[in-house]
Amino acid sequence: MANDIIGPSATLLPSMMSDKDDSAKQWRRLLWFPLTLSATLLIFPQLTFVTMSFHRDIGMGQVSADFTIANYVKILTDVFYLRAIWETTYLSACATFWAILLAFPTAYWIASIEGRVATLLLTLILASSLITVPIKLMGLNIILGPSGIVNRTLEALSVIRSPVALLNNEIGVLIGLVQYTVPILVLMLFAVVQTIPKYLEEAAYIHGASNTATFFQLIVPMAKQGILGACLLSFNMCMGAFTSPLILGGGRVLTLPVLIQQKIINDADYGLGAALSILLVCFVLLMNVVVGAYVMRDRRRRVNRPYGG
Amino acid sequence: MRPRMTTLIGILTILFLVSPFVVVAGASLDTGNVFQIRFPPHGLSLARYAEIHSRYLYAFRTSLVLGLTTATVATATGLMAALGAMRGRLIAAEALLSFFRMPLQIPFVVTGAVYLQFYYQLVAMTGFNPMNSLLGLLLAHLFIVLPYTISAISAVVPRTDNALEEAAETLGATQWTTFWRITFPMLRPALLAGAFYAFIISFGDVPVSIFLVTPTNMTLPVLIFQDMRFDFQPSILAVSTLVSIISMVLIVGIQKLAGLDMVLPPNQRLS
Repeated sequence: MANDIIGPSATLLPSMMSDKDDSAKQWRRLLWFPLTLSATLLIFPQLTFVTMSFHRDIGMGQVSADFTIANYVKILTDVFYLRAIWETTYLSACATFWAILLAFPTAYWIASIEGRVATLLLTLILASSLITVPIKLMGLNIILGPSGIVNRTLEALSVIRSPVALLNNEIGVLIGLVQYTVPILVLMLFAVVQTIPKYLEEAAYIHGASNTATFFQLIVPMAKQGILGACLLSFNMCMGAFTSPLILGGGRVLTLPVLIQQKIINDADYGLGAALSILLVCFVLLMNVVVGAYVMRDRRRRVNRPYGG
Repeated sequence: MRPRMTTLIGILTILFLVSPFVVVAGASLDTGNVFQIRFPPHGLSLARYAEIHSRYLYAFRTSLVLGLTTATVATATGLMAALGAMRGRLIAAEALLSFFRMPLQIPFVVTGAVYLQFYYQLVAMTGFNPMNSLLGLLLAHLFIVLPYTISAISAVVPRTDNALEEAAETLGATQWTTFWRITFPMLRPALLAGAFYAFIISFGDVPVSIFLVTPTNMTLPVLIFQDMRFDFQPSILAVSTLVSIISMVLIVGIQKLAGLDMVLPPNQRLS
């Protein structure tokens, strides 16, 4: 395998290049260990898993010996599983929408202030994305509970009479997913916004554009590719999210990752769990390919008409 | 400049992101032995810190050993991969790096399920069970963190100055000396950032580890996660607060050592 990747090394001018060539060859030797490790970690486990998905469960964690697509047929014809696929997709799309709505203005704001405050804010956001998830979920549980801050504030403001359920339902999961993706999106979009030259914004102001007009007619279009990329990233993360739906959904919101864990750990139905996982991965990959194709087409169109229309 | 909508959204977003940690830390300081969580706390005490059960300390040690081992192996492997692909002047270097990034396409929960199945098969075929030791968790964690270390390091290798290395060699330094005195220091921020990501992902992981933990190999996040669901005790709040503080210190420390630019996540998950 490595031999295919390590391409032609002989150059046209061996006498002049031999020194550099030798050193390149020596550097290449370093690749053996990472390649072997990565390939082993990738190929063998996945292969076992894919094979498993084509065998029927016969109880006690055993699978039958015969090759069958029964697991896939079951998932794609059973309303229960189709609903789970729909629920996961729907929640991921909603969470992505809200996450972008929060993350892009935040990224823009942080990029516009400079110095220590910006560094501090970026550090806080980074910490929020890196500190282990259960702690975050514990905090959200306290905040969103029936006697939590959100409900008490709303009651004090007389917006609601009795506590509203923000946990163990789709709203809770949605809030958890937004919490999960927003920090990464802010950091990613911050890098995007930084590439927009400041003088464009200044030019817009000089010509009398309002803040709102500048934001929606200059900043957002300039960052369009980055925003699309961020949407895709957020969607991918949500489709694979496991801890937030499990805790904030209280076991009542069954997304694909939650079902996969239940099938494998609780029911020991390995075949079906494997098939569900493979469908999830394929579905997410397909979405990426479709969006990727759209982005490429859009880019090509823009190259043809550089000043947009 | 006039106050803007974006500023307002930004402030609210940051409050939204930080509030869970503040609430947990606040509730951990509440007085008395009540099993009800109260925020804001009704009084201040460290009682819940004194109640921390020793199994959390064991789990913390397991997570620490696991995280450090994962980070060391992943960083060394990432360095070899990055140097081999970039310095080896491979024509297919980009394709090779995409191959290394493939695990990013697989949701963590699927990776956990995959490795559990793989270990079952391994036991059935060879009798060797990696889950009897930390090896089981280590291999799965390596799988998920390698893309991060390889991306972080390979992004910086082309920026290192080849002329300096050539100068060193012309002046008679051996290859080994050149590597340690010239190349390595130039790569140090990237290595730190890669190791940091590998550690923090491995240390905090739930979705992969939840499939692979055993009573003797219990990681701290999985223990917190399970106790939160099935056996809630107020001292979990204290443990969580301590973990948040340690993580925060680590994040700030790495940022000082390697620079903020290095620590901000590159957009690896997309490419």
